[in-house]
Amino acid sequence: MNALALRVEAVAAGRARRRRRGLAFAGLVALLAIVSAHTVLVVDTDWARMGSLGAVMKSVARFLAVDFSLIPQLWEPVLETFMMACIGTLVGAILCIPVIWLGALNVTPSRWIGYPFGRFLMTMSRSIHEIVWALIFVSAVGLGSLAGILALAMRSIGFIAKITAEAIENVDPKPIEAIKAVGGSKLQVLRYGIMPQVLPVVLGTIIFEWDINIRRSAIMGLVGAGGLGLTFHRQMVMFNWPGVTTVILAILVLIVIGEIASHYVRKAVT
Amino acid sequence: MAILDVSDLSVRYAGTGREVLRGVSFSVDAHEFVAIIGPSGAGKSTLIRCINRLVEPRGGRIVLYGEDVAQMPRSKLRETRRTIGMIFQEFNLVNRMSVMDNVLSGRLGYVGTLPSVFKLFPKADIRRALEILDRVGLSDHVDKRADRLSGGQRQRVGIARALMQDPKLLLVDEPTSSLDPKISREVMGLIRGIAREFDVPVLCNIHDVQLATEFATKIIGLQDGIKIFEGPTAALDRQKLDEIYAMEVL
Repeated sequence: MNALALRVEAVAAGRARRRRRGLAFAGLVALLAIVSAHTVLVVDTDWARMGSLGAVMKSVARFLAVDFSLIPQLWEPVLETFMMACIGTLVGAILCIPVIWLGALNVTPSRWIGYPFGRFLMTMSRSIHEIVWALIFVSAVGLGSLAGILALAMRSIGFIAKITAEAIENVDPKPIEAIKAVGGSKLQVLRYGIMPQVLPVVLGTIIFEWDINIRRSAIMGLVGAGGLGLTFHRQMVMFNWPGVTTVILAILVLIVIGEIASHYVRKAVT
Repeated sequence: MAILDVSDLSVRYAGTGREVLRGVSFSVDAHEFVAIIGPSGAGKSTLIRCINRLVEPRGGRIVLYGEDVAQMPRSKLRETRRTIGMIFQEFNLVNRMSVMDNVLSGRLGYVGTLPSVFKLFPKADIRRALEILDRVGLSDHVDKRADRLSGGQRQRVGIARALMQDPKLLLVDEPTSSLDPKISREVMGLIRGIAREFDVPVLCNIHDVQLATEFATKIIGLQDGIKIFEGPTAALDRQKLDEIYAMEVL
């Protein structure tokens, strides 16, 4: 009986300790949130310039109109945005191949140099934002859609390569054994043993990436890399607020079309 | 005259260092159907996989048509592998490819790498594939995807792929473990039939003693990595069988 009472005490004490620790952690998070809010919102915001709540609402309301006269001028940038996404994805998918070869553990030519390098390229591609990639390429190849295409391609490599490399690593080894047994070369093992197994995943991922690239493509123009973003920027600096809304609506329509297309094409390949 | 002469074969697993095969010697003659029997874990699959070096032996000789497979450099090994047909327990087909493509892949050792990337095979190979598919009874399934077939049909595709190699030796790894008893007997009959027609010796590992004695001309008994019986099927009596399966039959 005494032993049980001791155990009750021990369990209760443990629970109390965990509860105190939880409360302390919650307090810390709350403190961090308050400090952040204070430095970012209270100190950094120009409250005087913002004016009253009515003024804010009035500023937002300026966007609540559509400039239909802009529509004829939108066809070209819409098409350009769409094509930038297509070509960027395609170039990215091609550039992926050597990265996948390096970064898939079971096909990499060297485990200690090639594999980490391949993985590093994948991470680098994804951790640099598409706008940053665009800035890099605008300074490298100049203004226009070429810079946008290259930026999208670089940004696409990481995701496609990572998913594909993982699919290759998880491939069923049995068909590979069979191709080796008939005297197949390394390339034939890749073509007959591995490729048929990963192809649906790869195609699905490329289409998914294309869908995302339409969104990215629409903002490339903000830094001068072509497409609808440029039109958006121009309307903005001309203070043509309804025009800005028109461009946003065009982007929305394009994205919805891309999403629908991506849904059906993905269904067809997988 | 022995077609395959294995002597003092030993294998050790890289990871654990455990010896899987210890000094196994045997031979396969022309026209022979050799069955390797023994309890699970005896090393039957490893033994079969050593012959075409899907598993690397640690020591011993594997002399096939006068050449030692165990000592071959990689480039020569590919040439030898294409003359050894292999049939697998789980068929090892490429599921997303058609029956025709699976059967044609038996020719990969013979066609150039570049044409094979585009699945370009000579017309003669396609003709041969159709003949073989007729022989194994799959003429109605040529363009179906491999994963649309039943187990027995898939094993027939595996057999057809091995035949496409014009094999000088057939390695068969537990061909019936994934099949029901009736289909198992059919598949074993088919393997024996084609072995006779194409005049290829067969080395087959099989855990089902009933099937082994029914189809094989010679039996090799393996226990714990050591060969404890080799002789014609008729010489395998109850007592020998008890020895091979010592732990299980008692």
